[in-house]
Amino acid sequence: MTTPILEFDNVVKRFGARTVLNGISLSVVPGEIVCFIGPSGTGKSTLLRCVNGLETIQGGEIRFDGEPVRGGHRSITAVRKRVGMIFQHFNLYPHLTALQNVMLAPMIVHKEQREIVEKRARGLFERVRLSHRIDAYPAELSGGEQQRVAIARALCAEPRLLAFDEPTSALDPETVGEVLAVMRDLAAEGRTMLVVTHEIRFAADVGTRMVFMDEGKIVEDGDPRQMVAAASSERARQFLGRVNH
Amino acid sequence: MNDSLLTYLPLMAKAAGTSIWLSWLGLLLGIVVGAGIALLRRSQIVPLRWLALIYTEFWRSIPILIVMFFAYYGAPLLLGFDLSPFTAATLALALHASASMAEIIRAALASVGRGQWEAAQAAGMSGWQVMRYVAAPQALRVALPPSIGVFITTLKESSLASVIGYIELTKTGLLVRDATGGGLAPLLALGAFYFLLNYAISLAGLAAERRFHVGRRQDLVGAMT
Repeated sequence: MTTPILEFDNVVKRFGARTVLNGISLSVVPGEIVCFIGPSGTGKSTLLRCVNGLETIQGGEIRFDGEPVRGGHRSITAVRKRVGMIFQHFNLYPHLTALQNVMLAPMIVHKEQREIVEKRARGLFERVRLSHRIDAYPAELSGGEQQRVAIARALCAEPRLLAFDEPTSALDPETVGEVLAVMRDLAAEGRTMLVVTHEIRFAADVGTRMVFMDEGKIVEDGDPRQMVAAASSERARQFLGRVNH
Repeated sequence: MNDSLLTYLPLMAKAAGTSIWLSWLGLLLGIVVGAGIALLRRSQIVPLRWLALIYTEFWRSIPILIVMFFAYYGAPLLLGFDLSPFTAATLALALHASASMAEIIRAALASVGRGQWEAAQAAGMSGWQVMRYVAAPQALRVALPPSIGVFITTLKESSLASVIGYIELTKTGLLVRDATGGGLAPLLALGAFYFLLNYAISLAGLAAERRFHVGRRQDLVGAMT
């Protein structure tokens, strides 16, 4: 049994009086590709944002590499250095070129030498097939290109876990494919990934595990193909039926 | 324009330099203090936010001439030592500019989208690093055009220093007018000097905006996300 990289232990997250995560327990081992699906507003993105302390939790505990994650605490930086996050709206730094976007954190957070970071960054641009766009500013890139730069940016810090927060939701249907292709490559490398997505087919193909959430709870957690074919809960069957047809 | 005024023009040009120096110093101090106040406005600690708000509202509500009088005539009474006209004028201009700059910087920082702070934090940057590498460069572009306006306002307000006896451009112009036997020509020259100075600042500001790519589409992207 591999030791988990990430553990959620009865996690509760509230926004004011509203409970968004209602007792989430979950354990992820290295190499797993966990896809979170479910209706909007059921806490999938919030769960992801708790992993690196972008949200603070009100109950339970989250452990990354066995260490408790505490949002707002100094120790959170240690976790953030090891978690690469990809956002729905890319959130590239608009005043920096694509290359500078990718190099910034490794240089100032991880204190690596420029030459080493630049070499790695250029290699990553090749991997996301954007070597020709290396000096472009984010505004000069299409949505799909921006998201691929964002993936390169996350990878350049050499994270142990990648967290994708609806990475294709802000893209037009034609560019969704190019981002998913990059994600497939990453999955094939055996990277540990958490993916909040509405791309059920991608989740079923690439995911090693599917978590269906509804109203702040994990309703079902299992094999993606099996769940898409025949979910055991009525709620998941309903949801998957609706998106499949 | 008569000959005697022409002979005084170099003197006025020199005085224009003094006015620029005075207002530049006021603006610079105003930016430093204003940046501090803007950060306090964003503080987690509520009383600090209140203090910063009161500071801003106070200094932008008091006429600058009154602040100058207060600094110049009040310092000996309240502090027990004299402030030179230059110090009193600089102080008053800086206090006024700091209130304006605080508002400009606060708004500029607020224009940097939440996604930018989150992306930088998620990458492990400290609060200072987020500010230094991500937020401030984007805020600078937003703050630049209105800051040019504050510089121009400060330069115009610096003419009030003539009232407490500081010999800057306006005071020099008035002295020249006395020396040349009155008339409107020295006042016209004075107006022309101010216009040229401020127009030069405007042009320099536009050049700076181009240099920092203000208004390029990428800024909108930053504001959106």
